[in-house]
Amino acid sequence: MCGIAGVVRPHTESPVEESSLLRMARALRHRGPDGYGLVLDRGAGFASTRLAIVDLPHGWQPLEAGTGGGLLVYNGEVYNHPELRADLAARGETFKTQSDTEVVLRLLERDGLAALDRLNGQFALAWWHADARRLVLVRDRFGVRPLHYALRGDGTLVFGSEAKALFASGEIGAAPDLEGLDDVFTLWGPRPPRTPFRGVRQLPPGGLLVWEAGTVTAERTWWSADLGGAGSPGDDLEDTLRDSVALRLRADVPVGAYLSGGLDSSVITALAGEEAPSRLRTFSVAFGDPLYDERSHQEEVALALGTTHHTVEIGPTDIAAGFAEVVRHAETPLVRTAPVPLFLLAQEVARQGLKVVITGEGADELFWGYDLFKEVAIRQLHDHDPQQALALLDGLYPYLGAGGARRGPAWRRFLLETGDHDDLLRSHLTRVEATAAVKAFYREDVAAELGRDDAVGRLRSELPEAFGDWGALERAAWLEMTTLMSPYLLAAQGDRVAMAHGVEGRYPFLDHRVFELAAALPPEQKLNGMRDKVALREVAAKLLPASAATRPKQPYRAPEVAPFFGPDAPDWSRDLLSPTGLAEAGIWDERRVATLVRRAEAGRVAGVRESMAIVGIVSTGLWHRAFIASDAGRYPAETAEPHVRIDRTERATMEQMA
Amino acid sequence: MSEAGVRREMREFIEENFLYLHPGMELADDDRFLERGVLDSLGFVELVEEVQSRYGLTVEDLEITEESFGSIEAVTRFVTRNRTGT
Repeated sequence: MCGIAGVVRPHTESPVEESSLLRMARALRHRGPDGYGLVLDRGAGFASTRLAIVDLPHGWQPLEAGTGGGLLVYNGEVYNHPELRADLAARGETFKTQSDTEVVLRLLERDGLAALDRLNGQFALAWWHADARRLVLVRDRFGVRPLHYALRGDGTLVFGSEAKALFASGEIGAAPDLEGLDDVFTLWGPRPPRTPFRGVRQLPPGGLLVWEAGTVTAERTWWSADLGGAGSPGDDLEDTLRDSVALRLRADVPVGAYLSGGLDSSVITALAGEEAPSRLRTFSVAFGDPLYDERSHQEEVALALGTTHHTVEIGPTDIAAGFAEVVRHAETPLVRTAPVPLFLLAQEVARQGLKVVITGEGADELFWGYDLFKEVAIRQLHDHDPQQALALLDGLYPYLGAGGARRGPAWRRFLLETGDHDDLLRSHLTRVEATAAVKAFYREDVAAELGRDDAVGRLRSELPEAFGDWGALERAAWLEMTTLMSPYLLAAQGDRVAMAHGVEGRYPFLDHRVFELAAALPPEQKLNGMRDKVALREVAAKLLPASAATRPKQPYRAPEVAPFFGPDAPDWSRDLLSPTGLAEAGIWDERRVATLVRRAEAGRVAGVRESMAIVGIVSTGLWHRAFIASDAGRYPAETAEPHVRIDRTERATMEQMA
Repeated sequence: MSEAGVRREMREFIEENFLYLHPGMELADDDRFLERGVLDSLGFVELVEEVQSRYGLTVEDLEITEESFGSIEAVTRFVTRNRTGT
C-alpha cells in the first residue's frame, strides 16, 4: 500500500526534474511513511512512497522488469499473489523478491492487460515502457484505491494517487471545476472521471488508460459491475466470504478490524478471528452523544468474539478539530462530517502500531442493506397494497430531519411521489433532492454557469446500456455503488482518511467473487419484505450472537451543525462563513448564507437540508484554502534519502556512448 | 388563534425557513409555493410537519395536496378549518 506519482512527456528530450518528483513524493508520504523511491527516465519520472506490508525488506518500488522491459509503480495489494507467483514460476518466470508488486509486473509483462482479470485485490498502478513511450494506468474494480491524472496541452501526462501530487509537480495548477463541485452537492462525491479540480480527472473504478507519446490512445473499463444476471450462484456465500477474509489477512504485519457493531463488520470480524494467527484487535468509534453511539453493540460483539478491543470516543470538539485535515486529505468539499471520526479511528490504529484493518464496507450495496432499497421495494408494494406500504414508509430514514423515528404523511408522500414512476434514477431522487437543497445557496453566477447541465443530467446520460432492462432494485444497487460507494464511502470516508495515517483498509465484501456471487443471488436472498441482507444474515447466524445477527441497520453518522457554532467552534469556521471568507471561494451567496448562519447560531437548524448546506459551505472554504488559494511554497520537496533511486537517463547516455 | 394569526405565523415560518433563499422575492398569500419555486418536495415535508406540531393537527395522507398546503392562504384555510372542526 503506497502512493504513486509520475510525469511522462511526449519526447525524450524534455527532462522531468528530480525536484518535481521529490515534491510529488513528499505530497504522498502520508500514504507511504516507510520510505520512497524514484525513477528518472528520459522525458519521464516516477515516484513511489511505501507503506511496507508485504516483503518488508525487499518490496521497494519503482520496480523494473529487466532489460528492455517495463517499469511499475503500484499502490495496493493483490491478495492472490502467491498463487499467481506459483503459476508464473511454473511458466519459467524467476523472481527477485517476495512482493506482490513483482508478481503483478511479471504477469503484466507476460500476459499484457489480460492479466488484470486474474488480480484479486485493490490497486492503482502505472506501467511504463520507455521504448514505446507508453504508460498504462489501471484502477481496481471497485475503485478502492484512487488514481488521478491530468493531460497538459503539450501532451505531458501527470498522474498521482491523490490530486495534491499533481499540483506538487508544478506541472498542473489547481482551479475549481464547477461540474465536479456540483456532483458533490448532488451525490456527495465527485463522480469519476470528474474531480472538483478543473482539468484533473480520476480513473473510474475498473478503468484503464493508455497514453502513448503524448496522446491518450485508449480509455475504457476493464471490469464493470453487471447486475443483470440474477440466477443461481455457483458458490457458497460463507465459503467465499471466508476465503476472501483469509486472503485479506495475508500480510507480513498484523491485521486488525474495524467493528461498527453492525452486521457486516461483525461477520467480517468473526471470520477474521477464526482465520487470524493471533488474537484479533478490533477498533470502534464511539460518541459521547448517545444519539450517535453504538458502543454497547460493539462491546457485545467484541466480547463474544474474544477480540482485543479499542474504542475511540468522539467528543463535542473533535469533529471541528479534525475537519480541516480531513478535507485536505479528501481533496473535496463534503456534505457530511462522518469521515472525521474514521480519520480519528485510523489515527488510533496507527498509534497502536497497526498498518492494516479489514472492514465491512460493501455489504449494504451487495446485499441491499440500506433503507434506500426498502424504499424501492415499498414503492413496488404500494401498487398492490397501499395501506401496508404506507405503514412501512414511516420507519425509513429515522435519522433524516428533526422529528424522530416516525415521520408522518408528508414524509410518506415525499418518498412515494418523488420522481416519475418509470424514471431509471428514481431510487436515488429522494437523496438527490435532499442533498441538492445545498445548491439553493449557490451564488447566482455559479448557478447560471452550471445552467441545466446538472449532475443528475450527466449521470442520466452515462448509464450502462442494459440499465433499463435491470430490475428496480438492481438499478438502485448499481447507482449506490457508482454514485456513493466509490466516489464517497471508499474515498473521503475510506482510503483518504485511513491513508492519512498510513493505514490500509481491506474490504472482504469487495472481493469480485463475493460481488459476483451476490449479484447472482435471487432478489429474495437479499431483500425479502423488509428483511434485508437475508443470505448474509444466514451466514451471520452461524458466527454471531443472535442479537448481532438480527440487528437492524443503524446508519453511521456524526454531528453536523453543532461543531461549527457556539463557544467551542473554531475561529476558522466563523471566518469561512463570513462575507470575506465566502468571497474567497466564490461559490456561495453571502446573503443567504448569512441568514443560515444566524439560524444555526440561534439553534434553529435541525433538518438535513440546512445541515448539509452548513457542512458543504464550511468544507468548500477549507478546500479552497487548502488547494486553490495562493499555493506558493505549499509543496515542499522530500528531503530524506530515497530507498530506491534509478537513473535511466545516465544509463541511456552510457549505452549510447558504448 | 384567529385566521389572521395563523396567516401571520405561516408567513413568518415560510419567510424564515425558505424565503431567505430567494432574496428580493415578494410572495403574496395566494402565490403557489411550487410555481414560485419557494418549496421543493422536502420543503413540503417540513411545512406539513410544522403545521402538525405547531397546531396539534393530525394530517391524513390524502390531505397533503396543493389545495391544502400549496400557498400561505391554503395552509391558513386548512389550519383554521381543521382547528375549528368544520
